[in-house]
Amino acid sequence: MDPNLERLISLHDLDIMIADLSRNDIRKEEEKLGLSPDEAQKELRQLRKELCNKIEKRLLARYDRLASRYGNAVVPAIQSRCSGCLTRLPTAMCSDPNRNERIRTCPTCGRIIYWAD
Amino acid sequence: MKNRCYCKWNLMSTDRSSAIAELLDIVPPFDERRKSLLLTALESREQAGATVVHESISMPHCRSILVDDFEIVLGRSKKGVGWPEEKVELVILFISPVTPKSPEEHTQLIKQFADRIKDGGAEKIFAAEDCAELAELLDLDLLDGG
Ligand SMILES: [Zn+2]
Repeated sequence: MDPNLERLISLHDLDIMIADLSRNDIRKEEEKLGLSPDEAQKELRQLRKELCNKIEKRLLARYDRLASRYGNAVVPAIQSRCSGCLTRLPTAMCSDPNRNERIRTCPTCGRIIYWAD
Repeated sequence: MKNRCYCKWNLMSTDRSSAIAELLDIVPPFDERRKSLLLTALESREQAGATVVHESISMPHCRSILVDDFEIVLGRSKKGVGWPEEKVELVILFISPVTPKSPEEHTQLIKQFADRIKDGGAEKIFAAEDCAELAELLDLDLLDGG
């Protein structure tokens, strides 16, 4: 897998964790378990910053633009469709055995696509 | 309907990172690439604050675009796993998918485990003699365990 794609997936996972720790319901349950959502969120933001330093600026800008527009910048392809906008992806893109070896985007919504299978 | 889980009764690993990797290893749909990315996500959460939720119980968890269903893996250790400052004898690892409803379902799962652990529940859990009993005490269906 393209190392930049791996970093973007990890960035997306970090962003979800950071966002989750802002949700009152999740914070409440974590606090009940003795965890510290505020501190965890602060640390995750720091990890995010460190990860961003390892991602090409141009890609990061694209990721941020997509994330602010859609809420999710990276999505899996499911049954040859972009799981963000559900549009069928070009056959050549899906059948390429090296499809995860470079950054691919959905021709319709522009989200960054990866293949899990 | 109950959530399904995998279970490993005797964890070989004695440190956090290896224990998480050992548990991810027993989930059939995870290939090496996905395992490595999920390990990164779960470890980031642990680095941000260890998820020891009760004496000897840790609960590494996250939501990730790398799974399309809830993946729950239980790990029991007699030797104890350094997490890293506290010794953990039960690991409840879970990864929730990223879907519109999943934040609520993820919260529900955290609550489900918290409810099972509290008020003496942990003692019963530690008295479980095998994966099947452990899964039942956590209100899960066991898919595979040994
Ligand atoms: Zn799309």
